[in-house]
Amino acid sequence: MPAVQETIDQVRQIDVDQYKYGFETIIEMDKAPKGLSEEIIRFISAKKNEPEWMLEWRLDAYQRWLTMEEPTWARVDYPKIDFNDLYYYAAPKNQTGPMSIDDVDPELLRTYEKLGIPLREQEMLAGVQKSKIAVDAVFDSVSVVTTFKEELKKAGVIFMSISEAIREYPELIKQYLGTVVPTTDNFYATMNAAVFTDGSFVYVPKGVRCPMELSTYFRINEKGTGQFERTLIIAEEGAYVSYLEGCTAPQRDENQLHAAVVELIALDDAEIKYSTVQNWYPGDKDGKGGIYNFVTKRGDCRGKNSKISWTQVETGSAITWKYPSCILRGDNSRGEFYSIAVSNGYQQIDSGTKMIHLGKNTSSRIVAKGIAAGFSQNTYRGQVSAHRRATNTRNFTQCDSLLIGDKCGAHTVPYIEAKNSTAQFEHEATTSKISEDQLFYCLQRGIPEEAAIALIVNGFVKEVIQELPMEFAVEAQKLIGISLEGSVG
Amino acid sequence: MNIATPILTPIKLTAAETALVDAFTRQVGELPGDGMVLVARDNALDGIKTEGLPTRRVESWHYTDLRALLRAIPADTNAPFIEQRPGLVSNAFVLPVLNGKPDVKTSIDGVTIGSFRDRLMSDDHAHIEPRGSDDAIGRINTSFVRDGLVIDIADGTTLERPLELQLSQSAGQSHMRFAVSFGAQTKGTVIERHSSLSDDASLVSSVSDVVVGDGADILWIIFQAQGPVDTHLAQMNFKLGANAKLTLYVINTGGKLVRQEVHGVTVGEGSDFQMRGINLLGGDTHTDVTFTLGHDVPNTTSTEIIRNVIFDRARGVFQGQIRVAPDAQKTDARMACNTLLMSDDADFSAKPELEIFADDVQCGHGATVIDINATHLYYLMARGIPENKARGLLINAFVAEIVEELDDEQLVEALEDVISAWLDKHA
Repeated sequence: MPAVQETIDQVRQIDVDQYKYGFETIIEMDKAPKGLSEEIIRFISAKKNEPEWMLEWRLDAYQRWLTMEEPTWARVDYPKIDFNDLYYYAAPKNQTGPMSIDDVDPELLRTYEKLGIPLREQEMLAGVQKSKIAVDAVFDSVSVVTTFKEELKKAGVIFMSISEAIREYPELIKQYLGTVVPTTDNFYATMNAAVFTDGSFVYVPKGVRCPMELSTYFRINEKGTGQFERTLIIAEEGAYVSYLEGCTAPQRDENQLHAAVVELIALDDAEIKYSTVQNWYPGDKDGKGGIYNFVTKRGDCRGKNSKISWTQVETGSAITWKYPSCILRGDNSRGEFYSIAVSNGYQQIDSGTKMIHLGKNTSSRIVAKGIAAGFSQNTYRGQVSAHRRATNTRNFTQCDSLLIGDKCGAHTVPYIEAKNSTAQFEHEATTSKISEDQLFYCLQRGIPEEAAIALIVNGFVKEVIQELPMEFAVEAQKLIGISLEGSVG
Repeated sequence: MNIATPILTPIKLTAAETALVDAFTRQVGELPGDGMVLVARDNALDGIKTEGLPTRRVESWHYTDLRALLRAIPADTNAPFIEQRPGLVSNAFVLPVLNGKPDVKTSIDGVTIGSFRDRLMSDDHAHIEPRGSDDAIGRINTSFVRDGLVIDIADGTTLERPLELQLSQSAGQSHMRFAVSFGAQTKGTVIERHSSLSDDASLVSSVSDVVVGDGADILWIIFQAQGPVDTHLAQMNFKLGANAKLTLYVINTGGKLVRQEVHGVTVGEGSDFQMRGINLLGGDTHTDVTFTLGHDVPNTTSTEIIRNVIFDRARGVFQGQIRVAPDAQKTDARMACNTLLMSDDADFSAKPELEIFADDVQCGHGATVIDINATHLYYLMARGIPENKARGLLINAFVAEIVEELDDEQLVEALEDVISAWLDKHA
């Protein structure tokens, strides 16, 4: 089919060099010495002015981590990481935590402006944007600024960097931190527990519907650093919150590590909607550089009738290893996972979800769309399981892959485990190229090939895009355009 | 580096692993074959000795922890004498392999039949190597294989009657291998029938290497009905030539611990592979059907439909992997696995994988786990059919559908009888 041949050529020519956020911010940084040791953990803890119990928690995780091995089961291939050749703490000089916007280094503000992230509340209000978005901006190891904190506080919502929360709300942190992703969970989660530097904390009290979208914007900037963020979101009984996460990094020849842990807790009748647009630097066209993104994200539907929904658009990172999951503990709880994973160049994605049905009448829905181009490998790996006592569980899974070019690969590895006779699981997966019939139909109506392919690809991912909050959907659509530029208009 | 490196300590062998190692030491003097055959045997046993049998940590054994499940190995002593039984269908040409010993008859036109023992004795390079380090069935079979059959069907031969490989066991162990080669343009049906003729435990490992020549059209039926205390470890490896067609039925109704592997590759363009599976599982049993198919050349097709019905405390596993090689354009591969879970103590796990490297392909898989449809049940009950009978009818329909696709009336009838008899006993 000529259109696809053209697409292949164009994708090959343009490839991942389209990355727009690859600039570097030149700013004086305050760094811990390279390497990972007890001293470094004590250093981070002291920098964050943490209480003693937090330090102990970290050190305990570190001791466990020393006994663990890197997981190798994912379908990704990369040279062994030397964990002692990394900086585990890097923050802009004089910035040990979020401060008033007027005190923030103007260079940093310019960075966020360039990235299109509004940090000034009045600007956001003055702009065309109608709905408000509160932003927590994390720059390497430290949260730079958190907007709309006061306004949110009036509604009872706590939104701040996790470092501040550890100092200001130790009881909440002690009660919830590590209860969804225990420190022993896996190699990278344990490592994160030992060295996490910043991230966001959200607490929505009983019956409160969070008045605006919350978001965190992660930026890796410093050379040779790893970013280890930790996010904790708690929605009390009947609460609702929608949270967005975005991330970018400069273009570098070396690989950088990003190992995050995100924990969501939804109590009775609560709902958490978590959306990610992941756009870390993917490496250059020869597969050099890029972020290693090893992330553990898990939501716990702890209360009955609770709901957790993950939506992700994955276009960046050299390697993605990420499985946002739901533990459906409460009766009648619901988990959702919507994902678009676009890989190009030499990117490798191994991503999917886990839906663990423990409560009665729990239901889950998985819609995963993978688009592979260039020399990339794109794997969906998911698990759906029903516990013996979980009666009347329901799952629907659909994972579709689209291949553009013959040098890439698309893989599907679902694990389906039913231990209860009332479970109803349906799984379907397809892999195909753009249908000639669909393309012919469009061409016949005078739509040029490029535009027709764009239409078809957009139709392919529409189901997922629809689940994103409005402001994000537009950005996501643009991102998909960039990743496949040349093949989609 | 601060990371502690694990110290490699020799594993502590389980009772079953120890029994295998001891059995090998006892038998090695009398196992047929020298040279490379003996080297292959030594290597295979060494794998068991140093790595043990696979656990859940080995991805291809994720749902069948052989190390934990295989608790004991029946003694390798002589099993009581058994006789040949009538064929599954009355017109079948029966090739009996009783307690692992074949009775070699060569009275079919165009078919040459020999014993695998002779091949092991005469050919230093008889291919018996395991598929890889995760191939536990291969390792056990390679270590202990004593006999089996070598069957060659000459180009252009049409088998007028089904060929039944009657593999019966009365106790003890049998480790068999079958090398079957269908020449170009051959046609025919093979029934690989495993059964047990006593209540004593037995361990069977059976590996078939099947080559389907260009333009051949073959139906192969694996019907496994071993006893409720038996361990059945079977593997079929096949290659499909250009425009060849292989239809494979895998029917499991017996055994305590069963693993049936099917590994195929398409080597010629235009080939088609069809697989149908029926697993009727009950009691306290574990049955694993693991399937891999490599679409290695362009323009090949495949369809797999697996139906499972699981009662009591039985555990069912289906792993299916379809790989499409980078140049295998125009591949059309479809896989479906449907399961009826009839008890809350039963469980079922599925892992239908796609691994695609070519872009102009159509590949899909579907997997469902469900209970009997309440509307269907109501429909039947509203017409005065008692609930248990109505359930029986619906389960029967769920699996009989697969059998009815066959053209051979006699075969359809025989298999329907097997299904009905099994359901009468378990449902």
